[in-house]
This record gives sequence, structure tokens and C-alpha cells, in this order.
Amino acid sequence: MHQRIAFRTAWMITRSEADAEEAAQDAFVKAQAALPRFREGAPFRPWLLAIVANEARNRVRSAGRRAGLVLRVAEERRPDDAVPSPEAALLDSERREQLLDAIERLPDPAREAIACRYLLELSEEETAAALDCPRGTVKSRVSRALERLRAELGEEVEA
Amino acid sequence: MSDLERQLTQLGRELDWPETPDLGARVSGRLRDSAGPVRRRPGRWPGRLGGLLPPAGLRRSLALAVVALLVLAGGVFAAVPGVRDAVLEFFGLQGATIERREQLPKAPPPRPPDVGGRTTLAAAREALGFDPLVPGAAGRPDRVFVDRSVPGGRLSLEYRPRPGLPEARSTGLGLLVDEFRGDVNPDYAGKIAGQATHVERLRIDGYRAIWLEDAPHFFFYRAPGEQFREEQLRIAQNVLLLERGNLLVRLEGAFDRARALELARSLR
Repeated sequence: MHQRIAFRTAWMITRSEADAEEAAQDAFVKAQAALPRFREGAPFRPWLLAIVANEARNRVRSAGRRAGLVLRVAEERRPDDAVPSPEAALLDSERREQLLDAIERLPDPAREAIACRYLLELSEEETAAALDCPRGTVKSRVSRALERLRAELGEEVEA
Repeated sequence: MSDLERQLTQLGRELDWPETPDLGARVSGRLRDSAGPVRRRPGRWPGRLGGLLPPAGLRRSLALAVVALLVLAGGVFAAVPGVRDAVLEFFGLQGATIERREQLPKAPPPRPPDVGGRTTLAAAREALGFDPLVPGAAGRPDRVFVDRSVPGGRLSLEYRPRPGLPEARSTGLGLLVDEFRGDVNPDYAGKIAGQATHVERLRIDGYRAIWLEDAPHFFFYRAPGEQFREEQLRIAQNVLLLERGNLLVRLEGAFDRARALELARSLR
């Protein structure tokens, strides 16, 4: 539920489990204080993720360092993935490693946009809230990041 | 979506994500520490809801503090009217949210469970996006229903009253079993409990569960993409909610905790 997406969003930004846990906790406490200002009926997740991402970024700034590569593929498959789905077949292990390396080499704004939209599967609105930028900026960052990934991976750009 | 975008999405599903810590316990601890201690004795329903309540000032600050637990689950907050009324405690499972409130909504008129289209167990297995679990300890279900409006489908099994399964006032049945994909429907089942309802978190054979007993509570299903509507509320009696893999299983009846555990353990 929301705990998981909040923690994972924080982890993507801080690249540290301990920092992500602290950031997510702080975010929930701050969200409680901010609840009276929350517009009832408004979408909840973007609002929460904005607070989480802000806390995560504060931690990164105060830590003043960039952690190493953190994205790894899980070793085990879940039991109900015994027969690979068509989607899973899209990715063989070599392609996975290529993608992970290419994502890590992206500049931070592009990497975060790709991570939010595809790895965390956040909506555009949620990504904009998490990255604290307008939706138009999310669109252009994602678009440029995809072009760059395609260039790195030697793919033809779509017409 | 391009191939690259599909691959990126699939990559996200295969990543070795770190395990999400239990943020709820730590956050509620921090908030409770700032709110101060509270004494609360549950009463017995009907007639004596609440028992002894803490002084109004402490109650209010605790309620405000614990509203944050709604933040941890999120969905019900935006959907249920009057939610800014004090919420005392919050519980959640994959697929279900439970709030304990100081003030309960108005009691709805009795209504039968909303169960979907009648079918057979064999046909249900074909129609559902999951393998249904059936409690062997209850015998054969009398009626089977599938609601296809829920992603993955929702299965309902009705058991008429019989020895070991007395009639529940809330349903007229001995046992009602509901199952659906909790992972794709995170806030689908909602419960609102008053202070007289005993709410217990436990594990059954390693699976997370929540047991609600003693005082009937309110219950609703929220269809995906819909806002909560108050006319969807139904009174529910004793209920065991259980996570089984990506399923949320709900067992409702007049049976006690020991019988509920037996039924849960017999799910195959």
C-alpha cells in the first residue's frame, strides 16, 4: 500500500535503506501535521509522495554524498512466475544489465524521472509531485531520458 | 508504449527492492509519545458502547495524533465522509483498511451482502484471476458467486447455518467467505469499528490476519476508481481478514475466534 511506495520512492532518491526509512517516517509525521490543509477528495498519493520525496532530498543534501549502484535484479522468481509471461520474455539477463547500467549513467534528473515513471510506475502527476516540478517538465525529462537510453543501447529512434 | 518503455516497466517488477520496513509501528509510537497515555476500556454491545473514555483533552490529542495512521494507508481518508472526525486507531492489510473511530456513521438499514453473479465453484475457478481458496472445515458452500467488476474478480461463498456455524444476524448465513486480489485492489475493503469492537492483529500459519469481534462494525466495498458512498455501508459481525499470498480472504459469521482460526487453517 502507501507504505511500500513511499519507502521505495525515498530509497530511489536516497539510495540508502536506512536513510529511506528515516525519510519515510519523517514524512508520515509531517503529513499528519499537514492533514488539516489537505483538500478532501484530492488525489492522495501525489500529495504524500511530494512530502516523502522532499524529506528524502533533504537527507541526500545533508549527507553530501552519492551512493554507489543500488539497482539489482531479484535472484528468485515468485512461484506464480513459474512460466515466464510475455512481458518477462522481453527481458533477458543481458538486456537487464544493459538497462540498469544505462539508467545509472543518466544524469540525476533524468534518472529520477525514469525511475519514478517506469520502475516505481508512478503516474505523471505523482512523478511531478515527487520530483517537485511541473508535469510538462516530467514529460520532457522522460522523453529526453528515453532518447538517451535508446542512443546508449544502440537502438533506432522511433520516427 | 514502446518496447523500451515496456522493458523499463518490466525491469521495475524484477528489481531486488529492499523490504519495506514496518513504518506504521514506529510512526504511531512517535506520535503516541507526543500525545500522552490514554486509558480505554471497551464496553459490550448493545447498549453500553465505549465504557470509560479518557478525558476529552487527551482523547482529542490522541485522535489527532493517530489520524496519521490513515496517512499510512491513505485511501479511506480521501473517500469516507466525515473522516476528519477523530480516528483512534488504524489497521491495514493488503486489500483492506480498518479504522477505529470515536464516532460511528449512522447505522444503515439491514441489507444483504452484495455478492455478484451466481455460479458454481468449477465455473468460478475459470472466471477468476486467481485460484480460489475454500475452507474445508465448513463443508461444501451452498452458493457461489463471482463479481467480475473487481479487477481479478471477487469470489463469494455462502454457507447456510449448520452445526458449528450459527446464524449471523448480519448476513443470515453460517459463514460468508469473500476473496479478491488484495495486491491490485489495495483499498477495496473498508471497515469502520467503534470502540467496543475488539480488533486483534495476529498471524495464522505465518500469514497476517486481523480479527474483529464483540461489536458489529461497518463494512463496505469500494469499487475500483469509485468514491465511497454511504449507502454501501453494511453492518458486519465477527470477521477474520486474512492475507494469503496476493489474496485478501474475508470470513464473516457469528462464530468465535477459535472457530475462525480453524476455518482459516482449513483454506485450500
